[in-house]
Amino acid sequence: MLEVLMTAVSYSAAIALAAAGITLIYMTTGTFNFSHASMTAFGLYTVFIFSKVLFRDLGYPTYVFFPVAALISGVLGVITYLSVNRWLLKRRADMVTLMMSTLGVDLIYLALLNIIADYLTQEYKVNARLIVLSTEDVSIVQSGDFVLRGIPIVSVSIVMTVIILLKYILNRTKFGIAVRVTIENPSLAEIVGINPEVVYLTSWFLGGAFAGLAGAILSMVITGTPAVGSLVIVPEFAGAIVGGIYSLFGSLAGGYLIGLSEYILITLLATYVSRNLVVYQPLIPLLVMSVFLLFYPEGIGGLQLSRVVERLRKSVWR
Amino acid sequence: MENLMSLILDPLSLSIIVNFGIFLIVTLSLNLEVGIAGVPQFGRVLAVLAGALGAGSIAGRLMALYYGLPWGYEYTDIFTNLKVVEEMNRRLSSSPLESILMLLLALVIAALMGGAIGYVASYPAIRLREAYLGITLLAFGEALQTVVKYYDPIAGGTEGIMVPDVFRFVGAGQARFFFSSMVILAIALMIFVYLQLLLRSPFGRSLKAMRDMEIAARAFGKDIVKLRAQVLIIGGSIAAIGGALWTLYTMSLKAYTYTRVTWTFWPWAFMMLGGTGNNKGIVVGTFAFSTIRSLIFAYKTTLESFIPINPNWLEYILIGLTIVLIAMFRPQGILPERPELPLPRRRIEELRASQ
Repeated sequence: MLEVLMTAVSYSAAIALAAAGITLIYMTTGTFNFSHASMTAFGLYTVFIFSKVLFRDLGYPTYVFFPVAALISGVLGVITYLSVNRWLLKRRADMVTLMMSTLGVDLIYLALLNIIADYLTQEYKVNARLIVLSTEDVSIVQSGDFVLRGIPIVSVSIVMTVIILLKYILNRTKFGIAVRVTIENPSLAEIVGINPEVVYLTSWFLGGAFAGLAGAILSMVITGTPAVGSLVIVPEFAGAIVGGIYSLFGSLAGGYLIGLSEYILITLLATYVSRNLVVYQPLIPLLVMSVFLLFYPEGIGGLQLSRVVERLRKSVWR
Repeated sequence: MENLMSLILDPLSLSIIVNFGIFLIVTLSLNLEVGIAGVPQFGRVLAVLAGALGAGSIAGRLMALYYGLPWGYEYTDIFTNLKVVEEMNRRLSSSPLESILMLLLALVIAALMGGAIGYVASYPAIRLREAYLGITLLAFGEALQTVVKYYDPIAGGTEGIMVPDVFRFVGAGQARFFFSSMVILAIALMIFVYLQLLLRSPFGRSLKAMRDMEIAARAFGKDIVKLRAQVLIIGGSIAAIGGALWTLYTMSLKAYTYTRVTWTFWPWAFMMLGGTGNNKGIVVGTFAFSTIRSLIFAYKTTLESFIPINPNWLEYILIGLTIVLIAMFRPQGILPERPELPLPRRRIEELRASQ
């Protein structure tokens, strides 16, 4: 059970980061980015290529390549923005067109990923269609059956760093204020001399980088295939929507909620009801998302803590 | 004439016709919902799979029941299924009447299933905003596929089931290939005519009014909730007929082949290429794509020898590029949507002259 919990924590961190990326891109550019799935998969493949193909003999720990994964997926985000999204935003395309265009981008990235996997298999004689990197992980504490691996700790520290960085950038820097103004009112932001293009570009880079980090974390948790994107896209979107799609920290919380419920619920069901239920794991994010959409569409980000506290206080005082 | 016949009978042209017919049905249904009524239907695979289940699983079982063969839980067991379907095929091949009745039964059940799915989808469609609805429908499609894939009693789980062959009575091989592709084409054309008539009717015009400005449509007394439910039911039924014909044609029902890429994103690409909102454009877009797809499939090995990549990925890149480029440079598609005239043009001009 403890091992499952550790895996759940790492997996959820990946989903939370990717959901935050989706939310960031949606908040600034109004685009639901479907190519996030492939950007996540690219993150996973970057870690694999660097640690198992290019620098296999040097014996670096896998974690060294996490920043590279973030960088490459971030660049993919920038490419998507500059080549497609920017053009459509200038022409004020509607939301469905924006969403559809990223779907097209996703198909192209998916094909590229498959071509890369084919190439690696042919040229380097590695099994690039079935990637297991979790065996490369370091074990930090070992007592009896239980092994504490590196990834839960690394994933949690990545999320913590991201939260602190975002808090600092959004609240303390001029750029962060520009971002928030652009989200609130793009035309007014332009009047006071903020260039929205810079904000859009940065959010696509950061969104992509979050997806890349998510993929890097996933590489240590699940078995990677070129189709890994289509596996995680539903939890990622579910996390973003449960988070309320208008709040970065809400989406991180939403991602954790989705990821943890996915792993923990399915483990409980498999232990106490029937082992055959394990295959229905992909249904859990959908279930959680549907419940939120139908009953609480504001999401976690819409939850106002002060109001909850107020209500509690009143009911206690009365 | 003889040349023409041999061209039509060529396996490549027949496979183009089958692909064209099936995807025309699905893309037309998508266009009804997206292009004409303005519902962001990102879960087309849902109704298609429901139709496939209606034809392959439910109609197949009813047929087994009729012939007195095992039809209950054991129908989806891989060995029993093989035997039962073989026996049914033997009987169907000697009875044209039963084959045609079976085909009709399968299509009716599929349409009912698709309609039911459309009705269920109308519940979120009335309440959620555009993109939220799109993602919810997409997720529903995934959910149904997951359940069918892993819950064996529905359609044999990952192994899938065989589907009785309703086209067998004309003979095996080439004759069946020709006959089935003609049936599919005929049904696709019937649906095209029906949708063209629907578009010209007051109902079709109120759908466009709803898409263009919901508030104005409501001000003129249109019941938006009812209109949206109706269009989702009609669209779902049509898409389900497409799915049903595909299982009947391939004689098998395997859940993992009903992916969102094939049955949601490709129809979207066909629709965007042809012209969202214009049924004639859908015909053009679907024809262009199904021809290219069939050609890539047919010349796969030849292609492989002079391009360094697997032709599968070429197909993905092609469709992805089309979606992106059309969205960027020609959002109205090849044949842009034109206002539908309620009466023939000549009649309108006469009326105008007489005033």
